Parts: sequence; C-alpha cells; structure tokens
Amino acid sequence: MAHPHKSFLDWLGGHLLSCPFKTHFGIDCPGCGLQRSVLALLKGDLIDSFRFYPATLPLIFIVFFTLIHLKFDFKFGAQLIKIVFAGIAVIILINYIYKIYNHQLLS
Amino acid sequence: MSEEQENPQENKPIDLSKKEEPVVQPINEGPVTPPPFQQPPPFQQPPPFGQFGGGFGQQNLPNATAALVLGIIALPACCFYGIFGLIFGIIAWILGSGDMKKYQLNPGLYTESSYKNAKAGKICGMIATILSVLTILFFVLVIVGAITNPQMYDDFIRGMK
Repeated sequence: MAHPHKSFLDWLGGHLLSCPFKTHFGIDCPGCGLQRSVLALLKGDLIDSFRFYPATLPLIFIVFFTLIHLKFDFKFGAQLIKIVFAGIAVIILINYIYKIYNHQLLS
Repeated sequence: MSEEQENPQENKPIDLSKKEEPVVQPINEGPVTPPPFQQPPPFQQPPPFGQFGGGFGQQNLPNATAALVLGIIALPACCFYGIFGLIFGIIAWILGSGDMKKYQLNPGLYTESSYKNAKAGKICGMIATILSVLTILFFVLVIVGAITNPQMYDDFIRGMK
C-alpha cells in the first residue's frame, strides 16, 4: 500500500504550481515554499516543512479550526481565530524579511 | 424651470375644456414621497444562557460566515502577485464591517456568536489586505527597478546567488 502513495506524492512534487512572480523575476514571493512545505508535511517531515515555510502548520490549523468553529460555535473561537491569524501574518512577514536578509530569495 | 412647472397648474381650468390632458398632468406633478422608514424598536437583549445561537427569533448575521472564510482564505491567496489576497481581504473587510453595523442597529435580532464571527472576519480581512498591499508594493518596487535599470537588476540577482 505504501508504494502507490509514495509515487503519488512524487508525482505531486513534480507538478507543483509555479509562482508567476518567481518565474518572471526570479525572486521568491511571500507565499513561495507553501506547496513544498505541504508536500513535506504529507511525507511526514515536520522539520523540512517548517524549513520550507514556517506558517504552514498554523495555516492548516486555522483552516480546520475555522471549519470546526463554524460547525460547533465555540465561545472562544472567534477570539482564537483572530489571534492565530495575526500570528500567522507576523510569521509570514518575519519569514520573508529573514529570507531577504539571508539571501535565500533565489532558493 | 419654476414657471414651466407652475404653468400647467394655472392652465388647468383652461385645459378642462379639452377633457383629456388634465387627467395626465396631475400624475406627473407631485413627486410621491415615500413615508419615512422607521426602524423597528430593538428587541429584547439576547438571553445570557444562549450558547448555541441564542434564544427565540434570533438569526445569524447573513455574511458573518462568508467574511470569516474569505478573510482566512485571503492569507494564503496572496501568492499570485498579491491580487487575490487583496480582493478576498477587501471583500471580507466590507462584509464583516457591514454585518457589524447591522448588528449594532438592532442587537437583539442577531446572535452574538455570529457578530463575533463577523468581527473576526473583518479583522482577518484587514490583516490580509495590509499584507497584500505590502506585497504589491514590494513587487512594484522590484518591477520598476528591473525595468528602469536592468543591468543593475541582473547584477543584484547574480550577487544573491
């Protein structure tokens, strides 16, 4: 059972959508790395996933938490969504600034 | 203009002999002012025990869910030149703030949880909009730099490698 699954992930790795900004100008955009990160997560590699894009896990968390919150209507849900969302925005900004300063935009 | 409007009124008794025109004219004259819309008095405050959508007669705000979902989608959608993130963020912002106003007009009519959702959607939309605007500004800077002096841009790219 493991073999077709792995080959599917490999096939997915070869068919990622390419960033239009990166293909035209050669520089990463703030969202670059997200697909590689999700792919690494699907393969079970948490460290690689974090290295490609640190905001992946919180993003996946907030999407699923929002779905659950809309279904079950937690009391603290909206507040938590706001906080996590702001945190993700800060993570994305810091990640991009870090990439600029460490010359990783062309990776 | 005022004379033209007054003339048909003055000519009314004269036109009565023609029998047909005065029937048409009074319809066009007075603009029909609709009666001023009165806000219905706010209903009772939501009961404190209402956990899952409150008491009777309360409904969710119409766009709260849409605002929240769009606001969250807007963040990963900023990849494509930041345009989709901007669009989704602004839509979420507008929907959320509109629903907040709707709730504040009569707070008893809608559930408080949907109000919180609308507020969260508005804030998420704001954050996503700000991030997208920053992204677009950066992109514009890079594109302008690449167009104005491509030689420097190439050196810059080579220097980063």
